Amino acid sequence: MKNFEFIKAPDVKAALALLDKEKDHAYLVAGSTNAMVDIRAGKVNDRTLIGIRDIDALSGIKFSRGKITIGAGTTISEIANSALLAKKAPALFQAANDFADPTTRNSATIGGNIANASPAADTAPPLLALKAEVIIAKKGSKRRVPMEDFFLGVNKTVLEKDELILAVEFSANPHSAFYKVGLRNAMAISVVTAAASVRKDRDGKITDVAIALGSVAPKPVRAYNAEKAVLGKKLDDKVIADLMKAVAKDISPIDDVRASAEYRKDVAPVIVKRVLCKSCGICANEGGTK
Amino acid sequence: MSNLLPLTLKVNGEEKTFLASPHASLLRVLRDNYYWDVKCGCEEGDCGTCTVLLDGKAVKSCITLAHNCAGHEVWTDKGLGYNDEITRMIQDAFVECGSIQCGFCTPGMIVAAKHYIDHGGIADRKEIRKAISGNLCRCTGYNKIVDAIYKVAVELGREVR
Repeated sequence: MKNFEFIKAPDVKAALALLDKEKDHAYLVAGSTNAMVDIRAGKVNDRTLIGIRDIDALSGIKFSRGKITIGAGTTISEIANSALLAKKAPALFQAANDFADPTTRNSATIGGNIANASPAADTAPPLLALKAEVIIAKKGSKRRVPMEDFFLGVNKTVLEKDELILAVEFSANPHSAFYKVGLRNAMAISVVTAAASVRKDRDGKITDVAIALGSVAPKPVRAYNAEKAVLGKKLDDKVIADLMKAVAKDISPIDDVRASAEYRKDVAPVIVKRVLCKSCGICANEGGTK
Repeated sequence: MSNLLPLTLKVNGEEKTFLASPHASLLRVLRDNYYWDVKCGCEEGDCGTCTVLLDGKAVKSCITLAHNCAGHEVWTDKGLGYNDEITRMIQDAFVECGSIQCGFCTPGMIVAAKHYIDHGGIADRKEIRKAISGNLCRCTGYNKIVDAIYKVAVELGREVR
């Protein structure tokens, strides 16, 4: 038997007070696109649903002194339609445009997408590649967690029962890109996703790089070995070949209904090459190994 | 057993108070209260037959927590058809273009089309296909649905691509 309560939180303070009071029973609901499916399937029960969809303070995209701050309640469609993000964080902009379908994007939020911690969460690789920080609050305190420490496993994060994500924050980087392989164009849960962000010096040498992948491990992961293969180098055929080889050490894919582990192992290096070349402003098919 | 809680929504222009379980979806609340133009297909957010407008934006009502919408405005295809000129144009175009076969996906398609047109949608078949990509149709092969939305965009003087 399904057993729930519902309380609407009018503002952040009220939401934090409710989380503090309900602790283990609390279940935050914003866009509800994951929550309703889990409730119907019986994966979630005996909870107090705390409605945070209407909290204005959690929503919005801000840009100040090179930093972009996106409220946790910002919908994926706001991100997908943001001219600012298209220019300053194309990796996240592209991921939002590949996310589910336009109707689902009107409800789903970026905070919900990372809190749900699906290995296939579309916004996770770009946030990892942009080296975002998650701003988290609970009653009486706030903390910041680097994105790479945020996910612990399938549907597991560092979030405590009484914590709420307020926002994600990262430095703008126009040299970033995202690519998704799915089974169809809309509503596709990803088979493999990759995102990258780079900074280059005047000679074209990569001085800073972050690469991340989704759906190839129990959680969205940074590809540290792949990063090492290109850091301090100029992209050429040899570097790209090393990069693609290194990707294998960063991933541990499984067979599932969408694709085999073997297929993912083949595809991941190719899309890492694509996002890295795109981040560097070169066409993958010209600059890369064929 | 979950207790029923009062829920006040503005549906199709009328303020209504329903009794609904704390975890009820907007779809269930609407259908339980005779808004039968809102169809229930997959009930897990994949098919789009249950699409309604919530505060002017198309959402899938099956994956929308009803109580989270308290105080907000919901429009269904039928209500829009009686009150909104653009929706009426879309509905007429669906009939004229032969976009309806079994008709089950139609209310959701029309609401998704309404959202597209309302948000500046142009007469571009590729863009229209993207706009209805969250709505499944198993009969028409989509071409005639796309034709209908394209026709409305042209009639409204939108850019043709």
